[in-house]
Amino acid sequence: MSRRGRAYAPGRPGIGRHLTLALLALITLFPVVLVVSTTLKSTQDVRANPFGLFSSFSLENLDTAWTVGDFDSYLLNSVLLSVPSTLIVVVASTMAGYAFARLPFPGRTVAFYLVVFGLLVPFFAYMVPLYFQMRSMGLLDSLIGVNLVLATTQLSFGTWFMRAFFADLPTELEQAGRMDGASEWQLFRQVMVPLVTSGMGALAVFTFLQQWNNFLVPLLYMPGGGYRPLTLGLYLFIGGRSVDIGPLAAGTLITILPVVVLYVVLQRQVTAGFLSGAVKG
Amino acid sequence: MTAAPAPAAAPTVPGPRRGRRARSGVSEATRRQQARLGVLLVAPAVVLMSVFLVFPVLNAVYYVFVDFDGLDTTPPFVGLDNFTELARDRDMWAAAWNNVIWIVLGTIGPLVLGLAMALLLWGVRRGSTFYRVVFFLPYVLPQVAVGVVWGWIYAPTRGWLNRGLEAVGLGGLARGWLGDPHTALYAVLGTAIWTATGFVFVIVLAALRNVAAELVDAAMLDGASYLQRLRYVVLPQIMPVFLMVTALTLIGGFAVFDIVFVMTGGGPANATEVLGTYAYSNAFQLSRISYGTTLALVVTALAVPVAVWLNRLQRRASTEGLGA
Repeated sequence: MSRRGRAYAPGRPGIGRHLTLALLALITLFPVVLVVSTTLKSTQDVRANPFGLFSSFSLENLDTAWTVGDFDSYLLNSVLLSVPSTLIVVVASTMAGYAFARLPFPGRTVAFYLVVFGLLVPFFAYMVPLYFQMRSMGLLDSLIGVNLVLATTQLSFGTWFMRAFFADLPTELEQAGRMDGASEWQLFRQVMVPLVTSGMGALAVFTFLQQWNNFLVPLLYMPGGGYRPLTLGLYLFIGGRSVDIGPLAAGTLITILPVVVLYVVLQRQVTAGFLSGAVKG
Repeated sequence: MTAAPAPAAAPTVPGPRRGRRARSGVSEATRRQQARLGVLLVAPAVVLMSVFLVFPVLNAVYYVFVDFDGLDTTPPFVGLDNFTELARDRDMWAAAWNNVIWIVLGTIGPLVLGLAMALLLWGVRRGSTFYRVVFFLPYVLPQVAVGVVWGWIYAPTRGWLNRGLEAVGLGGLARGWLGDPHTALYAVLGTAIWTATGFVFVIVLAALRNVAAELVDAAMLDGASYLQRLRYVVLPQIMPVFLMVTALTLIGGFAVFDIVFVMTGGGPANATEVLGTYAYSNAFQLSRISYGTTLALVVTALAVPVAVWLNRLQRRASTEGLGA
């Protein structure tokens, strides 16, 4: 157990090592602490005493961001853009992942290469023509259109991710189900899907974070500003006039708070999602 | 073409021995049912990817050979003009050079720091979850928010960085880090390294957990120093994973956009312009749509060799059972 740990370290992890780690954690966390502290200071204190941490307490910055800064509607729009696109990704990826893992069907090779293609080509490569395509389809500034684009950017990864879960299930399950007279659909829906819910959960969390953080897709395809999410709202907030740091900090906090909470609560799933996204490709 | 389906289908066959027998035992009716369900199940994904991925990619290839201004329904064919213009474009080369700096420093920085932090935490038990959560946090945050906060830290008069420098007697170095063309690129890079380090850290830490402790013990008994153990025992064992992270970080460096766009928009005086922001401003601010698309495709194509290398690494790692 601890042998494994001690083996490499010269001795027991000493006080020096703990101090170094604590210092690094402090440096890493500092920008986040700065956001929280600035948000909770009074407007006057932010101006007069920019370097004081938690030197006063007031909710006026949050109030300004919420009412004057439109962060209430940005928050709603972020939800409207992240939740449906995440649902599409999880459902469509689970379906396709199962087909690729367990079913022989015509056109499978072509469909498979399509998924691999999607893994290789970054959004960046086709963002410009997609703008004009969306324009001619009447999907610019549309919740449906932008949700579909957001979903598509994560679909290849999702399919790949779910395929691995289905491929790991034993074949005996299928055979038993078939002997009991289950149809192929029932086999999928009632036997297989319940066995990969942990995978679906991890995929949902990971995808949600990616969609919530997405900046480029709404920037390009929401030019009218009808449904600006938090990331875009925050960007326009700094781009405008010279802003008060206080409400800007509050807007930043509103943007990152759901991400931080979700990450801290579900850190295993989140990290697993990023790890498999990276290591398994 | 007849050989093509084999490699694609191969990894999906569930257990080599059983799968074969199970499949031959499946009745014709079942097989027809499976084919129908298979088509239905992939249909949504295939439709979405065809419309919002394949079609625009094909269009991108078309844009490259015409001169499209965003309005003209029949843009004139210009052959390779977009590429010759690209080769002669001084601003493009300046952006490409910034991109090279970005890729080199933006890869080495997180790799060194992430590895060091993972080695530091390796074997520490108390608080290890806390450290893991904290170090990975920057990677999870939206880049826009990260850019905003670091903007204050780098600010000229009320910035924490200048304040910190004054505190340690280096006040002479104080400046507007993002406003000074000499430092802007490195300031943005510093922020990017802050976010990417956690990613390297988590992956390397996971790889370290698979390192055989007996070998490290044996090396220690043989009198190997810390650095010798690191060099000859530990690093070789985590090398496949380490190379994979390297490739991933490299690929991210080619198409860097968000963080630069938010923090400096490519300025001041193009000092932080990278190919991504340059392609964006050409296409969407200067209406040079074909040229912007050409740039975006070139950036993508440049990353392909790295992606191929990554793919090979992943395949080798999974055959060696290292695919975490």
